[in-house]
Amino acid sequence: MYDFHLISLGHYEMLLLNLGILSLIALALYRGERYLEGRRTLEMMSLLAVFGIAGRILLDPLPNIQPVTTVVLLAGIYYGGWRALALAGTIALTSNVLVLGHGAWTIFQVLGWGAVGFSGAVLSRFILDGDKLMVTRLAFVSAASAFVFDWIVSISILLEAGPSMLLPYLLNGLPFDLYHAAGNIAFVAWLAAPLGDMMLRHRARPAIQAVSELVPN
Amino acid sequence: MNNRSENNNRPFVQPSVSLSEYKLKLTSVAILLTVVLLAPTIQERLSKEASVFVADSESAHNGLPMDWDGKQAMCVLFPSEHPHSAFGMGVTMIDGNGTNLGVNEDYNGTGVCVGGFEGFINGLEFMQNSTGAVGEDLDFGYDVGEFGHLVHTIGGLNSNSVTGDFGGAYWKLDHNGAPSMVGIGNLMMSEGDVLSWSIATW
Repeated sequence: MYDFHLISLGHYEMLLLNLGILSLIALALYRGERYLEGRRTLEMMSLLAVFGIAGRILLDPLPNIQPVTTVVLLAGIYYGGWRALALAGTIALTSNVLVLGHGAWTIFQVLGWGAVGFSGAVLSRFILDGDKLMVTRLAFVSAASAFVFDWIVSISILLEAGPSMLLPYLLNGLPFDLYHAAGNIAFVAWLAAPLGDMMLRHRARPAIQAVSELVPN
Repeated sequence: MNNRSENNNRPFVQPSVSLSEYKLKLTSVAILLTVVLLAPTIQERLSKEASVFVADSESAHNGLPMDWDGKQAMCVLFPSEHPHSAFGMGVTMIDGNGTNLGVNEDYNGTGVCVGGFEGFINGLEFMQNSTGAVGEDLDFGYDVGEFGHLVHTIGGLNSNSVTGDFGGAYWKLDHNGAPSMVGIGNLMMSEGDVLSWSIATW
């Protein structure tokens, strides 16, 4: 009897396998979202968390290229900064505890992605034209978000080394910042429109504004 | 007729893709490919620039043989719970040609230092040569991952086998007494540099 567990995959074969699995997960979540009736923000957030966790773990072989920054940025745009922060914390903690390694750096990742989420919330009027997602503007913001996130996480080096090490550390990390920024632009170009469409359908209606003046009867 | 299945009561519009979105998709692929192709070159140049900031190597030579002053050396220190069978007492000093120069029992920890090298620029190449001078006792293993070369085993000690009241352990690389900012594969060395490996935890 064959034992297929004995098949060892190379770096690129494993990456292709992971991309295939992530594509299946994305397709399943995309199709599954259609079964959500009404405006289900929390369920939508859960789907985004699953996609973010799976994407971060499965794309680990790629240097700093993963969909979390784009997903959290979109969450900030559509659902606000606090929900984006909750999503960032869930994705970072779960993926780190399960596979990638949990430690002091996790809090810096949560804060970094939280900052990205709040930036999305603040810039939502610039990125959304009514309900229409301005994808090119989002691409620029996502590229900038890569540097913001990476530099916040880089501050964690101060736990172990002096401030004089921070500048050379940031300098050495620049290629990884570029990988992150380029990956974000690609995720925005290929995923932001369908993700934004899904998130828009599950965005809570704005609260009814109180009538400021009495209406004569 | 399936009344439930997908939610048919709300509009579901297949998003249309505009020309600008097509352009962005093509541009994003071009940017990604450009970064992937150029990043190694950028990394190499930045590592050279950043090596200027690495601390002077003089103090890193403390405790090493005076003959090694101004020359390159590498130390591997093992945790007290996992001493190396051949280097369990003090720190053994071994010259680049394999000559055992003696043991420094006042050195902080137990393990081995190999030194007296010159002219190495790439960290990984230096590590292969310096560990090779000791023989099989300092064989090492590494994975190539997201952030470059990740050394997991030195001298038979796999960092994953080090357990205790902590989250995990790893082989930490110091460059002239300070934590290295890059992995051994991207490390740019100068004359007189001292590398030091030790187990750290999180």
